[in-house]
Amino acid sequence: MSTNIRNFCIIAHIDHGKSTLADRLLQLTGTISDREMTEQVLDSMDLEREKGVTIKASAVRMMYTARDGQVYELNLIDTPGHVDFGYEVSRALAACEGALLVVDASQGIEAQTLANLYLALEADLEIIPVINKIDLPSAHPDQVADDLSNLLGVPDDQILRISAKAGLNVEEVLEYVVQHVPPPKIDPQAPLRALIFDSHYDSYKGVVAYIRVMDGEINSGDILRLMQSETDLKPIEIGIFSPGLRPVAKLSAGEVGYIATGLKTVRECRVGDTVTLASRPAEQPLPGYQKVKPMVFAGIYPVEGEDYDELKESLEKLQLNDASLVYEPETSQALNFGFRCGFLGMFHMEIIQERLEREYDLDIIVTAPSVEYEVVLRDGSLVRIDSPAQLPDEAQLVEIREPWMKIQIFTPTDFYGTVMDLVTKRRGVFIGQDYPAPNRVQLNFEIPLSELIVDFFDQLKSRTRGYASLDYQFAEYRPDDLVKLEILVNGEPVDALATIVHREDAFHRGQAVISKLKDLIPRQLFVVPIQAYAAGRVISRANVKALRKDVLAKCYGGDITRKRKLLEKQKRGKKRMKMIGSVEIPQEAFLAVLRYGDE
Amino acid sequence: MADYTSLLALRGAFSQVGGHGILSHVPPYSLYLHIPFCRHRCAYCDFNTYERLEALIPAYVQALCGELRWIDRSFGQRLPVHSLFFGGGTPSLLPVGELGSMLEAARESFELLPGAEITLEANPGTLSLEYLQGLRGLGVNRLSLGMQSAQPGELLLLERQHGYQDVLQAVQWARRAGFDNLNLDLIFGLPGQSLESWRESLEMALDLGPEHLSLYALSLEHGTPMRAWYERGLLPEPDPDLTAEMYEYASQRLAEQGFVQYEISNWARRGQDGQPLACRHNLQYWRLLPYLGFGAGAHGYALGVHTANVLAPAAYIQRMQAAGDPGAAQPRLDFPRSPANASAEQPAQREQMGEWMMMGLRLTEEGVSAQDFRQRFGQELQAVYGREIERLLRLGLLEWRDRVGERLRLSERARLLGNQVFMEFV
Repeated sequence: MSTNIRNFCIIAHIDHGKSTLADRLLQLTGTISDREMTEQVLDSMDLEREKGVTIKASAVRMMYTARDGQVYELNLIDTPGHVDFGYEVSRALAACEGALLVVDASQGIEAQTLANLYLALEADLEIIPVINKIDLPSAHPDQVADDLSNLLGVPDDQILRISAKAGLNVEEVLEYVVQHVPPPKIDPQAPLRALIFDSHYDSYKGVVAYIRVMDGEINSGDILRLMQSETDLKPIEIGIFSPGLRPVAKLSAGEVGYIATGLKTVRECRVGDTVTLASRPAEQPLPGYQKVKPMVFAGIYPVEGEDYDELKESLEKLQLNDASLVYEPETSQALNFGFRCGFLGMFHMEIIQERLEREYDLDIIVTAPSVEYEVVLRDGSLVRIDSPAQLPDEAQLVEIREPWMKIQIFTPTDFYGTVMDLVTKRRGVFIGQDYPAPNRVQLNFEIPLSELIVDFFDQLKSRTRGYASLDYQFAEYRPDDLVKLEILVNGEPVDALATIVHREDAFHRGQAVISKLKDLIPRQLFVVPIQAYAAGRVISRANVKALRKDVLAKCYGGDITRKRKLLEKQKRGKKRMKMIGSVEIPQEAFLAVLRYGDE
Repeated sequence: MADYTSLLALRGAFSQVGGHGILSHVPPYSLYLHIPFCRHRCAYCDFNTYERLEALIPAYVQALCGELRWIDRSFGQRLPVHSLFFGGGTPSLLPVGELGSMLEAARESFELLPGAEITLEANPGTLSLEYLQGLRGLGVNRLSLGMQSAQPGELLLLERQHGYQDVLQAVQWARRAGFDNLNLDLIFGLPGQSLESWRESLEMALDLGPEHLSLYALSLEHGTPMRAWYERGLLPEPDPDLTAEMYEYASQRLAEQGFVQYEISNWARRGQDGQPLACRHNLQYWRLLPYLGFGAGAHGYALGVHTANVLAPAAYIQRMQAAGDPGAAQPRLDFPRSPANASAEQPAQREQMGEWMMMGLRLTEEGVSAQDFRQRFGQELQAVYGREIERLLRLGLLEWRDRVGERLRLSERARLLGNQVFMEFV
């Protein structure tokens, strides 16, 4: 039977139509009826649907009767489409034997097309290139086919051209999967080894681990062992995705399914871990396990102090489903009680912020993101800090090291100069370049992560009119001449506005922040001096003038209700601001340090 | 659910005493009559007024007379009235006869008290001696002229369609016609206006010898041409600091000239009795005493209920026509509601307190009194707003007028920062 199993995934650059294709495959195989079909069933979170991206990977089993008359079990594993979730992608790929590489017929090959392709090749997958959206007026499928042919060494005429949205040629995709994706190579006699490639939390079943059985088999009732976290468990049930959870008695080598673990937190059941039998454990876990580490850190504070407990509960709930979100309590002089949170990247941070605001209806302040620094002290010790406020006094410091990233920027060659300029302004170092497709260049750099998390992606997009795409991986920690840039409002340093910057940039950044803050801090009843301070001296200062006029004009014909409502609105706006000492600071001010304005 | 208990109590009192005797216990009302027609809409104006609808005037006047009668019937008694205000729009666009029929309807339906203040807003460019004499003949005894500026360039920017010459002429005619209570409206804080040009306008207004001055800081309201110009970068934003200086200059200058500032934007000379010739009608608003609004988009406030009429003149006319003459028919709506209402809301007591504070504190001389608060709401001012008052006193935005705990008012510094104070109470 296992020879009729095909495990595959779809990889694509963001917005190239991966989820739409998945929807069509589900419909075509009758896995889900047209009636049940809501757009992009695999993306179950509202936020995903709105952002048009897949945040959590999902899996589904489809039964397909191919043209050869045989019935095949096709397991589709949907992978996250964003650079922050690279590790999750790599684990999902490890659960497959083949990948559909979907490329938009108008956009062509992009940075994540390549990044994901390389990951898929590393995982030794059979690649099936698919050109999507061929029905768009701007499509140039011949050109894209040519590029893909050059890239993969597949003849032009063997590259599928489809429109998932219009349902064009989608059946052909299923045939290709059956014919080209190899069946799983399995050893049913070997001790059980199953790869966890995703998970979610269910309030009844606990953590539900998504698994691919590599060797052996799982029977319901088996006592299982998670090899990396060294946890034994008796599953509540095991089953398959069809596409909802459907319990089965047995999962065999080559199959994809789930284990309802009953575990209470996703941290005990991490993506990449290997499941084996407690009674007959495998000798070696599956390769490739990593504990994902957060790269970007920021403080999250309730606007109203009384919402602290609610924020805490909301973070707990989010973490149930998201092992890569970490947080711990933090106290800020300016913002009082909140949490220091770690994220995989900027995108991940944005998603968490939005979910807190939208799903949990919280008013929060997110401080400027920071990376984790390694600080070497005079006494020889090394401390790690992920918040500028924690930076010890300069006199104690020997060295500050910061994380550097390898980045790949993929762009039309026209923008070569401006991309180069952006990266070098941000302390980036040019490593090399490739021309994987005509008129397209891939530029490779190394750059401090701290330069990447602040406004870099937006700048890149605007400089390249949206054409450039970006991928990045951690390289190493390197020392540099870094200083703390502090902001004083009304004479008081505001810890939440502090940043760590390169000494040479301190002056420029200080000025930029002060001139932004000057406009963002509304006039108060008194003059408010604001100053930027670094390396022992004030490098920029300005005054927010005192408020002199704030009164509603004429009361038109006795319309008191309108007047009251206007005042109520003004009052609500005032309430949303944070009192720092006796100064009211709006939320945007805390993000002002984010916008450098390179130009 | 609206709360009618106070109304029922009032009616009960009527039936017991049986007639006019009780009226002395009913506070005198004010009436606002809205005239939503203009020959040309000024560039800063966001009031409910319309160009090129003059053809509707006869039907509109009829509808408004109908509404006056309707309200009267729904109350069941002739309410005492001590001020009536024709506002706009441009009331002076209406022929004397039309204004007369509305006044007549008001006199039929309400008891216009002796010495009642009857004000008409007028555009200086629309007047003649005969017209003003006609108004006097009707009993109009206060005239409010929209002068706005003495600078031709500023008047052009505001799209006022009159010049200083017209104002001068209008004032002369008004005096000849017998008006002894004149107001001039001025606007300051215009984009590009200098302190010097403001001083000049103010002096030229003073030269006309008005009894009353209203000085308004321009605000660029949404939906006005000036706002649009500003948003498109065609106009600079008025400088708030310069605007504040203009205001401070005017306060000082008017004090020198013997004017009393009694409200954030209003100054009056003292009359023969030594009392400032304040606008009684507007005082009614600021003291949150009852007033009834008639006409399109007019607002009323009585028995704790805020009413607002439909905005469009045609819709207003239609509403009143559909309602028919209240004549013999039993009124179907409770006072102060009218068939022309788009809304009638009774805010919760806490909101009413906020409204009372927000309006009363505009009165820069008298402020709000703790005793009035107690009488009106049955609670102590300090018990309800102690913390807010304390904070604002500390910030120097409020002050006790005579003795601590009696009358609270804005400090001189807070006169242009009113919102920072009012906000605390709503």
